[in-house]
Amino acid sequence: MAAVGVVGLLRTQRHTPATLIASLPVPAGQVAAPPRPADSRPVARPVWLTIPVIGVQTTLVRLGLTAGGALQAPSDWSVAGWYTGSPRPGAIGPAVIAGHIDTRTGPAVFYRLAKLRRGDTVYIRRADGTLVVFSVTKVETYLKSTFPTQSVYDPTPDAELRLITCGGTFDASTGSYLSNVIVYAVEQSR
Amino acid sequence: MLLAVPALCLGAPLAAQASTGASSGSTDGWIRLAHLSPNTPAVDVYLYSFGDSSALIVLRHVAYGDVSPYERVSAGTYSVAMRTAGAAATSSPVLSTSAQIESGHAYTVAGLGPAGGLRLAILADQLTTPAGHALVRVIQASLRQHVVNVALGGRTVAPDLAFATVSAYLAVAPGTEIVRVTAADGDANKTVTLAAETVHTFVVLDGTGRLEIVDLEDAAGNTSIPASGVATGLGGTASPAPATAVWWLALVAAGATLVLAGGTRAWLLRRWRVTRLTRLPRKVRA
Repeated sequence: MAAVGVVGLLRTQRHTPATLIASLPVPAGQVAAPPRPADSRPVARPVWLTIPVIGVQTTLVRLGLTAGGALQAPSDWSVAGWYTGSPRPGAIGPAVIAGHIDTRTGPAVFYRLAKLRRGDTVYIRRADGTLVVFSVTKVETYLKSTFPTQSVYDPTPDAELRLITCGGTFDASTGSYLSNVIVYAVEQSR
Repeated sequence: MLLAVPALCLGAPLAAQASTGASSGSTDGWIRLAHLSPNTPAVDVYLYSFGDSSALIVLRHVAYGDVSPYERVSAGTYSVAMRTAGAAATSSPVLSTSAQIESGHAYTVAGLGPAGGLRLAILADQLTTPAGHALVRVIQASLRQHVVNVALGGRTVAPDLAFATVSAYLAVAPGTEIVRVTAADGDANKTVTLAAETVHTFVVLDGTGRLEIVDLEDAAGNTSIPASGVATGLGGTASPAPATAVWWLALVAAGATLVLAGGTRAWLLRRWRVTRLTRLPRKVRA
């Protein structure tokens, strides 16, 4: 019986599937200048995101709020979404982009988000073809009970980015992760 | 406003923990530089981390009316020096001041006043607004029109604002409105769009022969803050919850207990038999 128990314990340690691309090329294109404060003009909407160092590449869908006021989830596990109530990436303020970490059976678009480190680069292409380049400042994992809503959604005076997914311990009894992973990034100045 | 955890997972939303400061956990603040003295020539502006001799940031040829974008800097003490445009970095500055940057806060260091009475003012800039509103204030940088009145839509924003002064912030409803500046010898209008959760500074300047209004967007946030999160994970790559491991551990423990119990019983039986054998009556052993 003990032997059966030991075998069961060993099998519960799942291994990371090595099916993801290790890294991707840096995208080419005209890099947008950071927003100027005076008489600011609207910027084009975001359409595509890539994080070469962790092999993420996705078109961006638009996310709104549900009837209950919650942030919508992308219906497709393989794409991330930009929350339309947040500033556009490259405009003043924190642009919010969310994506799934995994499905019931395997990794999803933001599976490796927690592996980002300060200084890593995130690229977003806009509908007008320009690139907005962000530099990661920090990556944090928070329990739901201590989630810092202000630091994620509060206004900023510069163009910033928040990438959001799930993380931490998975609670099978509720079918959800207990934590959130937030990547903070700031538009690079020229 | 209920600001619950944006759980990117299924589950009931929880109330957010209240916190102060624009960015809890961050150690950065923001600073920008402004030249708002009408008869002062262009300057080079140097920003130093306090005590450093080489500048962190240098803005060249900053002329009247120029306001730089905010620079994100570590919280701490900084020195700002203004030198005549093109002057050597080692030359004496025209003006200098020190500024304390607190984390999560933003500041404008502005050259204000006439050339003969130029001063560097450190303005504390608001970043957050009352829910669903925009915030506006006015910097009066017109020397020609010494006192101005500023209205937004039908509402007074800054009555009788004197040259080189800054009005208090006013919370306004979001929307597209006309800013009207009226003065003794002239006035100006500008159409502005103020989104909710944005902070704007209107700067009144001396243009060529007339008043000018610049609309600075100081900060912007989310026009509607999500009340709770989104389900973005179903556990396909997670290590199982501790409950599952507990069952396996229980099985191991049960099996180990049985083994231990069986072994102990066997050992005790052996001991008992040995004891019995050594206590046979003398008659038999003899």
